[in-house]
Amino acid sequence: MNKIYLWGVIITAVMLGFTYMSVLGSKGGLNGDIINILTVAAAAALVIITIFVVIKYVRQMQVDTATGELAEESWDGIGEYKNNVPFGWAIIFLGTMVWATWYFVIGYPVNAFSQIGQYNEEVAVQNKKFEAKYASITGDRLVEMGESVFLAECAVCHGISADGNDGAAANLNQRLEVKTVKHVIEHGSKNNLLYAGSEMPDRNGLMNANKNYAPITDAEIDTVASYVANGMTGPGADVFAGVCSSCHGTDGKGIDGVAPNIAEFTPAFVVNILNHGKKGVIGTMPKLDKLNKKQKEAVGAYVTSLSK
Amino acid sequence: MFHWLEKHPFFFSVLVFAVVAFAGLIEIVPSFAQQSRPVIGTKPYTTLQLTGRQVYIKNGCNTCHSQLIRPFKSETDRYGHYSVSGEYAYDRPFLWGSKRTGPDLMRVGNYRTTDWHENHMKDPASVVPGSLMPKYTWLYKNVADVDTAYAEQLTVQRFFDVPYNKPLPMKDGSKETVKLAATLAGARAEALADAKLITANMKDQDVKDMVKEGKIPEIVALIAYLNSLK
Repeated sequence: MNKIYLWGVIITAVMLGFTYMSVLGSKGGLNGDIINILTVAAAAALVIITIFVVIKYVRQMQVDTATGELAEESWDGIGEYKNNVPFGWAIIFLGTMVWATWYFVIGYPVNAFSQIGQYNEEVAVQNKKFEAKYASITGDRLVEMGESVFLAECAVCHGISADGNDGAAANLNQRLEVKTVKHVIEHGSKNNLLYAGSEMPDRNGLMNANKNYAPITDAEIDTVASYVANGMTGPGADVFAGVCSSCHGTDGKGIDGVAPNIAEFTPAFVVNILNHGKKGVIGTMPKLDKLNKKQKEAVGAYVTSLSK
Repeated sequence: MFHWLEKHPFFFSVLVFAVVAFAGLIEIVPSFAQQSRPVIGTKPYTTLQLTGRQVYIKNGCNTCHSQLIRPFKSETDRYGHYSVSGEYAYDRPFLWGSKRTGPDLMRVGNYRTTDWHENHMKDPASVVPGSLMPKYTWLYKNVADVDTAYAEQLTVQRFFDVPYNKPLPMKDGSKETVKLAATLAGARAEALADAKLITANMKDQDVKDMVKEGKIPEIVALIAYLNSLK
């Protein structure tokens, strides 16, 4: 028997041994996982096939002799046989030519590929999937989606538990803070939340209709701010009726196209802020154009659910 | 003819070089010229923004933050529209970056605000739990170098014809002009005026006081730069 077979057996054994030590003998082992099992099987197969092929060709080099008719030309003593191209090679060669023609003419025509085109296709496919899966969700599933969007996009300012990161952003676990309402009354609201140019005047533009249109006083601001922040309860109803109701409605639920609902925390209000951004007592919140309509709705549902 | 070329390897090499170089020129140059044209809505940096850009480079922000959004849905969902080459027309050097230890900042001005940056640079983990980013507390004390930024502005205006003081088309059809002061004193005054607008939205009293005294802390310049990234 040729020495090479002996070496083949030894190397196979050593390599399979390494495979065994690195996977089966390790702490994790196969762990009954199909991927692990397939990987180890493939590793063993690779080792055996490699050794087999190497031995075959080394043997061939050892025993084969070239035969055939020599070409007449001799290049510095290096000759060439007139043999045909091996059949397999010829097939592969022709096949490659056919494939190359297909590749350039039909498969991936020259100049037809565009990275941006590929991106647009990817986006179209994703949007279609999104539509099919999420367009009609409501209720708890909408809140769930809102939570995941919130964690990805909103938590960097409002905190993972939506508590506002120690005052870095609004605490969303409560509907409104007194200081927020107070700030709006004193400084007005110029965030164009309802439509472009929609503004609430600052304190100089707020008059109490029940007191002969006298400008709102500090005491009145304090009272009505806590009245609104507490969900339209407690003292302050008279100030609200005199100052705020002409725009926000007697029940505080807003008037279409004039002023928003401030009696309740509605998802529509949150969506409005996501669309336009907002500048308030704490700081500036940017608008979130990158969220799509459904995602904004979902965030609205989630955020309003926090303070219920 | 070709036989003659083979016998004269030096001339042959020169001719080959000329042919390949010419082919390269007509392939590459027109495409560069087209793609490096600023896209509509791209503006050169103001003095304060450019100062902030130098603070950004000085502190090595670009080693962890890229400024290049690739055209993949996962990226555009997170960072906004993919980057196009014309958007970097006024970036010298561009800050594409090659590693994202932190997120991409190409359009950070669209979704972060002055007060967020103020909180974040002071203590990143306070707004982003688990953040690896170190605290950059010295930015609140160091005075930014406005003069060098002004020198850079003058240089790029003169040598690269960067359109300062010229009306530039914006995406909504309007025109905007980025001013470049005629004198160093003017540039300092302009940067200070911009800095005051930024500090109006900030809370740190020391920073506000510095700006009141006419000094611009690095954080203000950096925020001006970050807000301009859109």
